[in-house]
Amino acid sequence: MTNPGNSRRKFLKSSGSVLGASWLAINMPLVVSASEAATKNKELGAGFENLSLEESVELSAIVDQIIPVDETPGASETGVVYFIDIALGSFMSGAAPMLRQGLEEFQQKTVSAYPESTGFSGLSFEQQTEMLKSVEDTPMFGMLHFLTLCGMFCLPSYSGNREEAGWDLIGFDHRHAWQPPFGYYDANVHGQVPAGGDDHEHI
Amino acid sequence: MSTSESQPKFKIREEVDFVIVGSGAAGGVLARELSTNGFSVVVLEQGLYRTAADFKHDELDVLINNGLMDHPGWNDPQTFRKFETETAVQIQGEPPPAYYARGVGGSSVHFTANYWRFHQSDFKERSLLGPMKGTGFADWPISYEELEPYYTRVEWECGVSGQPGPFDAPRSKPYPLPPMPVKSSGVLFEKGARAIGLHPQPAPLAILSKPHNGRPACVNCGFCMGFGCEVNAKSSTLASMIPLAEATGRCEIRPLSTVFRIQTNDAGRVTEVVYLDSKGQEQAQKTRALILAANGAETPRLLFLSESSHSPNGLANSSGIVGKYLMGNGHSITQAAFEHPLNEYKGVQVTRIVHDFYENDPARGFYGGGGMDARPFLDSTPILHAMTGLPPGTPTWGPEFKRMLRHYFTRKMSVLGSTTSVPLASNNITLDPNLKDGKGRPAIRMTYMDHADDLAMATFLQDRAVEVLGAAGAAEIWREPVEGGTVQAHLLGTCRMGNDPATSVVDKYHRAHDVPNLFICDGSSFVSSGRGQPTMTIQALAFRAAEHITRFARNGEI
Repeated sequence: MTNPGNSRRKFLKSSGSVLGASWLAINMPLVVSASEAATKNKELGAGFENLSLEESVELSAIVDQIIPVDETPGASETGVVYFIDIALGSFMSGAAPMLRQGLEEFQQKTVSAYPESTGFSGLSFEQQTEMLKSVEDTPMFGMLHFLTLCGMFCLPSYSGNREEAGWDLIGFDHRHAWQPPFGYYDANVHGQVPAGGDDHEHI
Repeated sequence: MSTSESQPKFKIREEVDFVIVGSGAAGGVLARELSTNGFSVVVLEQGLYRTAADFKHDELDVLINNGLMDHPGWNDPQTFRKFETETAVQIQGEPPPAYYARGVGGSSVHFTANYWRFHQSDFKERSLLGPMKGTGFADWPISYEELEPYYTRVEWECGVSGQPGPFDAPRSKPYPLPPMPVKSSGVLFEKGARAIGLHPQPAPLAILSKPHNGRPACVNCGFCMGFGCEVNAKSSTLASMIPLAEATGRCEIRPLSTVFRIQTNDAGRVTEVVYLDSKGQEQAQKTRALILAANGAETPRLLFLSESSHSPNGLANSSGIVGKYLMGNGHSITQAAFEHPLNEYKGVQVTRIVHDFYENDPARGFYGGGGMDARPFLDSTPILHAMTGLPPGTPTWGPEFKRMLRHYFTRKMSVLGSTTSVPLASNNITLDPNLKDGKGRPAIRMTYMDHADDLAMATFLQDRAVEVLGAAGAAEIWREPVEGGTVQAHLLGTCRMGNDPATSVVDKYHRAHDVPNLFICDGSSFVSSGRGQPTMTIQALAFRAAEHITRFARNGEI
């Protein structure tokens, strides 16, 4: 059990009521390899395969609430909407109907709350935050939260994490080999790696 | 994907000496040993034949979408319940209860590679401590001393890096390789542990710290736990044993072969193994003897699927205990953040451990023992960090969430406590009565709830972890709740070994009491759980079993 399993499961359960039964129902397509999607890597500014332009605009606003722009890029600039577009056409295709329906209901709710607005993307950042808080526990938000984190930090070949902006944000330097010292606390130790071998009694 | 050109292609209608089901920690060793000893061997593996070139730093595929774990070709779901009085529910879109990799090399491909030997006490705690009412607490039919030469073979032939510690059982030979370079988590853990009077030691790992047996040293890439090694430095059987088996010219690795029935004759002997090939077509391989090494969940499943008029409760199950006494090792997780970057995403997971609490201590007031280790755990990769790495109460989205991700990723570490599991008949693997896989095979149903003593031991270790991390100067420490495990990567005890056919499934040589030409050797053979890192012992058992099976075969005793 010392594996990612238990904690990931716990995350999925705790992060929402967020995910709940709907999450379970829509995830069967996970058995389809995600790597198929990697071949469809899209350039920024290219058209979407599965999202309408309107959907992409609304999704951009939502994912930028989850990981907003500050001194570093937010989720949409990092390619998360392109990642979602690809995911919904491949390994997460089973989630598409739920997500579409959830977005539609959310849009209606938004327009009822702000009759003068053109939709979620037209609200101020603070108004958007308030609206999203009201749907924090829905499967739609849970799915978008999940996809945003995946798209922010996945391999750039999935069209998210553009120019490794997600990895830069958290300080993850992706290389294929490292030598010690690795961090602040082991810096003084290396050069004195234990010699190894046996200093123990034999049978 | 590749297969060696030296592999023979055996005809399925011609008997081979051995069929081995499963190519993982045990199956890989058995394949190498038996083919080296001159026998013809077919290994049936349900997963793909991937090699190092197929593995990638692809967290989305490997850790989120279970790319190394899912059954290729069709869905093979599982169900879970805590107690036998409940109806098990299908687990979907979450890690499966029985958590294992599919593919040549099995779970040794994706494991974290902690390689602790058992202690002498692990084999005889029932004698040392007395009975535990209502449990399957029992001695093994073999001792540490009998297994010691095979632990040494694992260390030298598979490749283990380490350095003996003050509590280790005696060893006949030094480790072949020095420990892996210590990480910041190891330095901090060592400092904190010493400050409270404990005795930390370098972690023994099945990862090469220097070139060994023609394989290269680890490059500290960090994509270790859950991933396949891209340079063959992790000592999976894919890297260490399978190539040697293939080189004999007597071993065929047959991937994408999912066994669903073991055929027996009227004399009660195994005659052939029926499986589905990569196209979903039914095939049957004839064999003189069968070895099940499919793991502690798949092995009992296959025995249940092979019921017949001779064995209505499942093959080799006259005792009625096939599938029972499942043990997974209890765990506790304690997270901490420090002022400066640790950069735990680099390098192997674990570099320092503490075994001060390995042995049972009556003063604790409950049975058990365990070990502690320092590691990044889920903070070694970005997506899981974003999903699970922040302290309780931190926003999960928005500007503050983003700031916290930026702050914590490089500053985090965890201490894991891992414990004994009391063997309970009520913790088990059975066939789900309702759910089937994509080809109509009944699904694995897991019933599991940790014993109160296991949870108490996990909590005890968490209390110590908080003390250690505090003494190490952590800026923040938080506990993950200790609760019954719902995902088990250690699948132990479900076909336990013993001298009495009424209370065990296999004898001390891994031969099924009921079926003379059936051997079972994997985590299912365990009688007790050890303290949380079982693969070293699974492989020592496999080396030992191969020696005895060879002797039986040469003497005409199979």
